[in-house]
Amino acid sequence: MKIEVLGPGCAKCKATEKIVKKAVEELGIQAEVVKIEDLQEIIDRGVMMTPAVIVDGEVKIVGHAPTIDEIKKILK
Amino acid sequence: MTPIDILISGLESLQEYLSAHVLTCLIPAFFIAGAIAVFVSKQSILKYFGAKTKRYISYSIASVSGAVLAVCSCTVLPLFASIYKRGAGIGPATTFLFSGPAINILAIILTARVLGFDIGIARIIGAVGMSIIIGLLMSSIFRKHDKENQKNNMLALPEDQKSNRPIKVSLLFLILLILILVIGAASTDYIPWIPKLGIVYILTIFVSIILIFYYSRDEIKQWGGETWFLTKKIFPVLLIGVFIVGIIGGIAAFYTPGSDPSNAVGIAVAPYIGGNNILSCFFASIIGAILYMPTLLEVAIVGDLFGYSAGIMSGGPALALLLSGPSLSLPNMIVITRVMGVKKALVYILLVVVVATFIGFIYGLIGG
Repeated sequence: MKIEVLGPGCAKCKATEKIVKKAVEELGIQAEVVKIEDLQEIIDRGVMMTPAVIVDGEVKIVGHAPTIDEIKKILK
Repeated sequence: MTPIDILISGLESLQEYLSAHVLTCLIPAFFIAGAIAVFVSKQSILKYFGAKTKRYISYSIASVSGAVLAVCSCTVLPLFASIYKRGAGIGPATTFLFSGPAINILAIILTARVLGFDIGIARIIGAVGMSIIIGLLMSSIFRKHDKENQKNNMLALPEDQKSNRPIKVSLLFLILLILILVIGAASTDYIPWIPKLGIVYILTIFVSIILIFYYSRDEIKQWGGETWFLTKKIFPVLLIGVFIVGIIGGIAAFYTPGSDPSNAVGIAVAPYIGGNNILSCFFASIIGAILYMPTLLEVAIVGDLFGYSAGIMSGGPALALLLSGPSLSLPNMIVITRVMGVKKALVYILLVVVVATFIGFIYGLIGG
């Protein structure tokens, strides 16, 4: 599983990355978490609002920092 | 003036922002901003920025959506870049870029409360009008950009998150919050303390009832989290900034004979940015464009540092600074340049300075 966290480095994007990593750890699944900070690349994914979370190429969360339960539900 | 006096002048200006009349408006304002960030469906607004949307709709939505979308500046830039490159084009994109930070709900509320109701209203109207003017000018200057970009304008719009809450309830919820703000912050000249506290108490109960019946636990948690996040991010910076403004006033009073810390800088700069003339508005607008001002601090800079509250700076230049200030700063100029290129970015910056000057000047003629 590949999880991408998109955000230009603001406070919320960092929080999102932390939450995603924690969720992966707690679920005990095999997943690669990548942070994408380049604005151009974010736009190329068709994401307009950050923070965003993409799981295996599918945009799951746009424009808000998720709660840990939200992420867990998506990853399951 | 001794160092102690300078410190005291810093503390005095801090005290003004920690006083009841400011806190009673700021605390509800943070809750409202938090509610907007969490509960207002952003997707339903984003769809108006697509390439196929009618121009006048994109412009009008872009000019006001800042109040809803742009509570956090890090959401503005990706959104701007997307609209610019793949969506409605350069006009609505720059409209949004400008209006986003300029009509931030916290800033408007604090402006109206601290600097006065008239300039608060002028700031809203000025920012909305100015954002549209700038967008239209940009799109007529760089018409070629949109033609070239029409091919790759496939913007992946996220699907609307379905909410089973009736829109009436959401609206009522926001109206109640705003009522709490307005009544809580109203001067005791209009409503005495006791009925005021009573009304605010009853309104709070109504809000709780709506929350219990129509909002899930997670949503309320998110709202609280967002409110706290905004407060944590903005409030300390505001207080430190206000303190520094006071200190600068104290130091300036040391060098300006016959003044005290609350008006020293104002008196010193009044010849350049004090009057209701076009030159003062121009200088004020340039200062606003260059100076990096954290959210909300522009209010203290205009009111205390440059002496608008003391009556030294007139309404025209004050509004010019409030208009050009929040939307431009060095860090965001860099990002704009990277997205649009040097030429377009320069034109944008120039337009902001010039249009802010004129709107400030006109306001000075009418009401300042």
